Amino acid sequence: MIYSHNNMYKTFSCILFFLLTNIIVHADDDSIVFSEAEVLSEFTTRIPFKIIDHLIVVEAELLNKKGNFIIDTGSESLILNKVHFDFNELLGKKNNTTSGILSTIDNPLERKLKDFVIHSLSLSNVKSDVIDLSHIETAKKMNLLGIIGFNILKDYEVFIDLYLNQITLSKIDKLGNKIDEKVYLEKIIDSIDFILKNHSIILKGQVHNQSVKFALDSGAEYNQINKSVNKKVLKFFKPKKRLILSGASDHNIEVLAGKLHRVKLSETIYFGPMHTVLTNLRKMNEAFGTEVDGVLGYEFFQQKRTIINYKKEKLYFIDYPLGSY
Amino acid sequence: MKKIITYTTCLIIVLLTFTLNAQKKEVKGYTIQGDSVVFTFDIRDYKFFTDEYSSERLEFDDLNLKSVAVSGEFNLWSRDKWKMKQVDQFTYQLTKKISDFSDAFSWEFKFVINEKFWAEPTKNASNIAPAKDVKGENLYVYNLKMFSAYPDENGNACFKLRGFENAKKVILSGTFNRWSENQFMMHKTENGWEVTLHLRPGEYEYRFIIDGHWIEDPDNPSKRENEFDEYNSLISIEVPVTFHLNGYLNANKVILAGSFNDWSESDYIMTKVDNGWTFTTDLSGGKHHYKYIIDGNWIVDPDNKIQEYDGEGNINSVLMVK
Repeated sequence: MIYSHNNMYKTFSCILFFLLTNIIVHADDDSIVFSEAEVLSEFTTRIPFKIIDHLIVVEAELLNKKGNFIIDTGSESLILNKVHFDFNELLGKKNNTTSGILSTIDNPLERKLKDFVIHSLSLSNVKSDVIDLSHIETAKKMNLLGIIGFNILKDYEVFIDLYLNQITLSKIDKLGNKIDEKVYLEKIIDSIDFILKNHSIILKGQVHNQSVKFALDSGAEYNQINKSVNKKVLKFFKPKKRLILSGASDHNIEVLAGKLHRVKLSETIYFGPMHTVLTNLRKMNEAFGTEVDGVLGYEFFQQKRTIINYKKEKLYFIDYPLGSY
Repeated sequence: MKKIITYTTCLIIVLLTFTLNAQKKEVKGYTIQGDSVVFTFDIRDYKFFTDEYSSERLEFDDLNLKSVAVSGEFNLWSRDKWKMKQVDQFTYQLTKKISDFSDAFSWEFKFVINEKFWAEPTKNASNIAPAKDVKGENLYVYNLKMFSAYPDENGNACFKLRGFENAKKVILSGTFNRWSENQFMMHKTENGWEVTLHLRPGEYEYRFIIDGHWIEDPDNPSKRENEFDEYNSLISIEVPVTFHLNGYLNANKVILAGSFNDWSESDYIMTKVDNGWTFTTDLSGGKHHYKYIIDGNWIVDPDNKIQEYDGEGNINSVLMVK
């Protein structure tokens, strides 16, 4: 999911989730090229990214357009920005079936990319939604071609590395094993199981020994904790500031921002106090397709170099080389 | 191989600069020194202070100053976490590592006295932005804005534009300030316009805005097409990086080879020192692969555990410059 912030107090929460149905359009030459990527093999590629307001942004070329894509584990599908693509060739429009948390987004078009290619990595029949993302472009002052979500990422082991500022995609087989052997050299220091609920990575964690269910979302600018979570958990949320979250339209909600203390995912995986906002996640639960008590976003990835394996439903962690350079 | 543009030092005409300085608005509230951000609160820069709770506007003499803190987007506007230290009668400072700021562009901030009185910047600061309340309504005061890039006569990137003598206003805009259309005003020189910035290592895109009309840098051949079917000019900012190989004191010759010099096996000859071998070179921001060649034998850096495969299955050491 994408949360972005505007000027001083504004925090946008552009929460996008989609029901995928209806029109499927086939097009030739639908391939995405990451011009900056290092292609290690037919199955593995490393793509450098920039961080723009806590969002992971890669550069790519699709349908003769060059620009930015956000890597968002909270999005179910590939989303293309209507502003930049001429979809006259589309056969029709999908009805108003896409909805956001705070608003309904107008008539999303959907197209199916016949052949979605990451360099030589090819995916067939990838669904994509086509919607207007210009509000994110305005808020971030960036060009944005689209959002790369779960339905692209799920076929790869995905290493999101905020130390080397790159994402490594390595194709996996039916069992979740990487097809390539030579992918990473750094040692995996820890791992944890997650549950894949629809497209969402759900982690069972604890806040001061109270069970808390988190969704892991690389498109979340700030972590979030649900207002209705157990009071014993909320005791460890120390509010500091009020912020405005707003959705795809101009509907705003006011939230409290602060720090969440004592977050722990296992005996060995725990976090220092993390910037967190207190929100009403009831509607967001629809987006995640399941009930969650909180969302772990940018700061999670900043503290943990994380490998996601959707098939094995496992996260792996690589050591952070603090002070090595 | 990435294109690298070397920037020559600007020739600054002292008298002209002096005159311009006299008229120029200054960046207030922070400076970037090496890899640190130094926040500086000078009491004399602020005429009044707003009480967070009553919205009352007070003068400095009304306050019984106990503490000064930096509060901004980078610390979620905490009123008490980033306390400053008094350095003289009027000045408070706080130093932070640039690496503490994860984003590449800009942050808004203010100084807060006794955790509740906001120091209101005046229009004399060049780095101000209108402050808004939680509902997005204008508060009719300013925040200070901090950029990882800022104008500095001793900075590391000098931008020059020849000609355009009749232009009224020329602005430098780029990815380093999120394409701001008013922040980096260029100064008129004898034969054109210029401004010198301090930039972090990395690659940036930029354009000039001449009286509202955008152009690419006509003297910079390095450019890329943008979404408007025009071009953005490109620069790469480098920093000196020292490679050190411990030991191997019996070796005759040690070479540093990497992605930064096209894996040359002869260019970067390391110098023997007391405890090993060393070599310093300028590198752009981002990831670099490298290895050492000791008397003809290639090795990875034994003291660097960050390693990656290349496309052929070879193992390289990895250095990240941020």
